[in-house]
Amino acid sequence: MTKNAKTSKTAVTDFQKSILYHVKYSSGKSRDQASMRDYYKAVALAVRERLVDVMLATKARYEGEDAKRLYYLSMEFLMGRALGNNLYNLGIFDLAKDALSDMGIDMEEIRNSEVDAALGNGGLGRLAACFLDSLATLGLPGYGYGINYEFGIFRQEIDNGHQKERPDHWYSEENPWLMERLEEACIVPVYGRIEHLPDRSGNDNPMWLGWNILIGVPHDVPIVGFGGKTVNYLRLFSARSSDEFDMRIFNEGDYFKAVQQKISSETVSKVLYPCDSVEPGKELRLVQEYFLVACAVRDIMRRYLGDHETLDAFADKVAIQLNDTHPALTVAELVRTFIDEHDLDWEEAWQITEATLGYTNHTLLPEALETWPVPLLEHVLPRHLQIIYEINHRFLKKVSARWPNDGDRVRRMSIIEEGDTKQVRMAHLSIVGSHSVNGVAALHSELVKTSLVPDFYQLWPEKFNNKTNGVTQRRWLLKSNPLLSELITETIGDGWIIDSGKLRQLEAYADDDAFQKRFLDIKKANKEKLAEVILDTTRVQVDPETLFDVQIKRIHEYKRQLLGVLHIIYQYLHLVNDHVELTVPKTYVFAGKAAPGYFLAKLIINLICSVGDVINKDRRVNRQMKVAFMPDYRVSLAERIVPAADLSQQISTAGMEASGTGNMKLAMNGALTIGTLDGANVEILEEVGEENIYIFGLKVEDIRHMRNGGGYDPWAYYNENPNIKRVMDAIGSGMFSPQNPGLFHPICDSILRHGDYYFHLADFQPYLETQEKASREYRDRSLWARKAILNVARTGKFSSDRTILEYAREIWNLQPVP
Amino acid sequence: MEIEQRREGDILVAKILNDRLDARGADDFRKAMSGFVSDGNRRIILDISAVDFVDSSGLGALVSALKLMGGDGDILICGAPDPVMRMFKLTRMNKVFRIFEEQQDAVRALSVE
Repeated sequence: MTKNAKTSKTAVTDFQKSILYHVKYSSGKSRDQASMRDYYKAVALAVRERLVDVMLATKARYEGEDAKRLYYLSMEFLMGRALGNNLYNLGIFDLAKDALSDMGIDMEEIRNSEVDAALGNGGLGRLAACFLDSLATLGLPGYGYGINYEFGIFRQEIDNGHQKERPDHWYSEENPWLMERLEEACIVPVYGRIEHLPDRSGNDNPMWLGWNILIGVPHDVPIVGFGGKTVNYLRLFSARSSDEFDMRIFNEGDYFKAVQQKISSETVSKVLYPCDSVEPGKELRLVQEYFLVACAVRDIMRRYLGDHETLDAFADKVAIQLNDTHPALTVAELVRTFIDEHDLDWEEAWQITEATLGYTNHTLLPEALETWPVPLLEHVLPRHLQIIYEINHRFLKKVSARWPNDGDRVRRMSIIEEGDTKQVRMAHLSIVGSHSVNGVAALHSELVKTSLVPDFYQLWPEKFNNKTNGVTQRRWLLKSNPLLSELITETIGDGWIIDSGKLRQLEAYADDDAFQKRFLDIKKANKEKLAEVILDTTRVQVDPETLFDVQIKRIHEYKRQLLGVLHIIYQYLHLVNDHVELTVPKTYVFAGKAAPGYFLAKLIINLICSVGDVINKDRRVNRQMKVAFMPDYRVSLAERIVPAADLSQQISTAGMEASGTGNMKLAMNGALTIGTLDGANVEILEEVGEENIYIFGLKVEDIRHMRNGGGYDPWAYYNENPNIKRVMDAIGSGMFSPQNPGLFHPICDSILRHGDYYFHLADFQPYLETQEKASREYRDRSLWARKAILNVARTGKFSSDRTILEYAREIWNLQPVP
Repeated sequence: MEIEQRREGDILVAKILNDRLDARGADDFRKAMSGFVSDGNRRIILDISAVDFVDSSGLGALVSALKLMGGDGDILICGAPDPVMRMFKLTRMNKVFRIFEEQQDAVRALSVE
């Protein structure tokens, strides 16, 4: 077991006293009246007391050293539950468990009372959360800055195979981890107009007038590093209305309009937009992005100017990382602040801005690159638009000087995209305004340079770099897989918790029979636990002896859940029509949310559920295969699924997944990857070795060739491959939707009639063969155990500690303050 | 809107006594300022040391007053507390108006011109 603090009797009693104090005085209840949720809150508040002590000490340490700070700006932080993580990192998990058990309370029940903080969609938000854990563990002065959404990503229910979205109220107002900082609230102007009046020297002076005001109220969530020595925080801003907003209307005698205005301004932090559903030009989303940027910049300036007289040392003391383009307005806001509010000239303001900012790109899909219509930006942020135009003007002068008479290049690189409605390209703004631009996996970073923005790479090769993503082994192994963690610690010591490279020592045990047996027993125990959750949530009974084949991630065509389903249908038809038994019985586990407006993604969920329905009810096959779609995928559910997975599906179309982090979590827990050469799969292959991973399918260059006139014809695959024909015909015939035979025609059409943009059919046969190979190898339990152990041993690279150390050294110039 | 007035030669020193210069009082303020200008005042010092909150309506009224002068005259600001000063900077109005910490500094500046 992990070395927690010794659970001395006094420590246990003190902790109990603290819990009882909070049951009584924070919830206002007697012990008998208190519910499990009251106890959860009391335990959380008792833990918070310890966090606050260290947080204040950490703050004093940073101030004492005038440390450089890193501010990680992200519209999403997918934190999940905090209690267990905080207990582990503080080293008091056993103490708390003993204290509760003594009081007749089950720790697991308490932990299950906590609602996930689901302030994110997927990988980007979870990455931000892992980074905060690593920053604190490494003693680095780094803070997350985000929005305190009242409603996080929607709660997913599956109703008769259909996704239904329900609001996720994550108790933001009464969350025990959030500490409101009203005294540090800031004023954020928005909307308005520019009026020109000469300044005192007679020069043109654009003034930003007529704005409305939002108030940004910070709430801090303490983030404790492993070992409990450093507590940083995640600062989340809530939007409140100002008096000014409603009083003007109130004075006009319209009370209800005044109240409506108040509600409208508070709407800014109401809800997280699900990705893929931000309609172009969605004004509220733009206001949200600006709200985060404005609150963050004001807060950063306040802290910096509290310790410094001038702005000379700003970039030496402040690093800001933009997590994707969502906070890209930081470029304009910093320039505006320096010039308008601190009287710097343009050159000085620009130099500091560029030296301060770093930008992380997260997507290669051109359609996913954020743009905002110029008229909308002018309406919402007139002064910022002026500044963006000035940045663009100066930037394009440089481009023209470097490449004279190359109008095409100037047009391609411009921050403003010409067209019927001009658009501001946020990625270009981020690249121009940052000293560092990074991708999130080696392959992705190369594609950023060569395919996404090659012009920018030619201009500034020195700006571009790679920082392969990572995940924190504290949450994704230590906490979520306690049995395996115990075995690892017993075998190689607990150094791996803060130095994932030490996992390599497990290689020596890969062929050890006794170790293999224990490893496989643990996997089975985890599968038994997951089987219970599957039964609870889907009413599907699965057999833990079967191979657990897992595909858990946001539902998107490029991630190709559909390829997984095609394979399942193939196997099913093979069983019932050809009477050929599967090489190994399998349980297919799916989980993931589709954006509410993404019709095909939702239909894919429906198809998975419908195929599952048919298979799970078919007595001829269901000893051989089962399919479960687990509803409401979220961090806490992932923590149940990941430790139980045998096979990890990472089968995106090559060149489309920036990195993936689910692939890392699963490999770290001993699941073998079946995947394409995409995102970080490439590096997982390098680390674990080709004999310990199942790679198949088209490569990036194949896809590029086939797209560029290489003549990809899905019909040819359909006509020539009887397996494909059989599967597609089954879907098209209504076999899985007898009440509505045409239900899945749009899926068939997307593949056969609309060109199969994601190359499902081209990759189908290799996928099928690779699946078969994995099944064969799974039957050899010792061989499989060896491969799985080597996956755990060789995925140390994918710790977010390594990623953060690279960011700190190569982008932020950030030193630990231990 | 309560405004205390006094004269230093041809300089009108007007001190806002309210703590907010916002939408509630912006119209009154605008009328008062336009009254000062139409009364022939061309050298005005506005003491806002008692104001701790100013919004865009209040600032807009100030710009209107300056425009009313049509380039013939000056309005100086004094005593702006930090939060108010921040709003002047935010709008870049600090580049249009001369702003002094103390009332007597503003009076002195106008007197020597």
